[in-house]
Amino acid sequence: MTIHNLYIFSKNGVLLYYNEWNRLNKSGITKEEEAKLMYGMLFSIKSFVNKISPLDPKEGFLYYKTSKYSLHYLETPSGLKFVLNTDTISQNVRELLQQLYRQVYVEYVVKNPFCKLNEPIQSELFKTKVDELMKKSPIYLNRSL
Amino acid sequence: MKPQVTDSKTNIAGSSVIPLTTVSNEANECLFEYLHAEIMNYVVGKNSNDSNLKEGEENLSELEWMGFGVGYRIIERLTREWVRFKDELDMIKFICTDYWSSLYQKQIDNLKTNHHGTYVLQDNEFRLLKHLANNTSNNKQYLRECPRLISFTCGLLRGSLANLGISSIVKAEITLIPTCKFHVEVQRV
Repeated sequence: MTIHNLYIFSKNGVLLYYNEWNRLNKSGITKEEEAKLMYGMLFSIKSFVNKISPLDPKEGFLYYKTSKYSLHYLETPSGLKFVLNTDTISQNVRELLQQLYRQVYVEYVVKNPFCKLNEPIQSELFKTKVDELMKKSPIYLNRSL
Repeated sequence: MKPQVTDSKTNIAGSSVIPLTTVSNEANECLFEYLHAEIMNYVVGKNSNDSNLKEGEENLSELEWMGFGVGYRIIERLTREWVRFKDELDMIKFICTDYWSSLYQKQIDNLKTNHHGTYVLQDNEFRLLKHLANNTSNNKQYLRECPRLISFTCGLLRGSLANLGISSIVKAEITLIPTCKFHVEVQRV
């Protein structure tokens, strides 16, 4: 099992944070462009899922899976979006994203009066804690791919 | 001489009810921190155009004064089940233990004194700083902004001591976040 990369988007689609752990394939475009593409795709999937669903969609879009990787999506009621790419066999990724939101984002961004919300996160402590959480998780396995 | 006041009885909201759930407790704590942050921003923003200040200086006396008022009042509530204090050191010990854990959920980690009216109270993980940095990360990042987060507490200490009958000067020193040292200098007349 392995974790590839993580995006955090604000309500308005600003990329607040990006980090990668085991990413082999580079997109070949800048991080900003990539973030825009990613956000656009998520936005489309979200509205697609909500429109096409034959039943009340409740939580809406949760994840998708290709033959090589899974993309997990967590959106908070405030519109914050957490996107984590893992391999296809990883389990409980949603829990990990919840943890990331509750124990890291709220603690070290929201409670830090010098962190402006809706702007890219500068706090070093936040970055350390994200890395710690990911590396502690059973999903993270540092294989040299 | 052991403290009789327990944490749950005297949390910062001053309510004597048993904490309902951890969630409501968290809300209590957050409320103080967010309000403190907003007051801090307000004071800093209001005084930022002060022309009497040199480059890189900020006027935080207003924050300190607010802390003084709060400290002066809160001491009435926190000492109501206590007997009279024996001496100055006794009061400082009370500040380090019960008082600090009522307000910041932990005790002062280290107390030093020269027995001539200077006390150094060291908190290794000060609550208002622990969201900024810790020992494993870059401790210098927010160092310049730290005085804003400390002034209120300095005033709080000074106000509390004032109501206990000690007039003092309280300064704070931060070299590595989240460790904070409060220097209390008692003013003898």
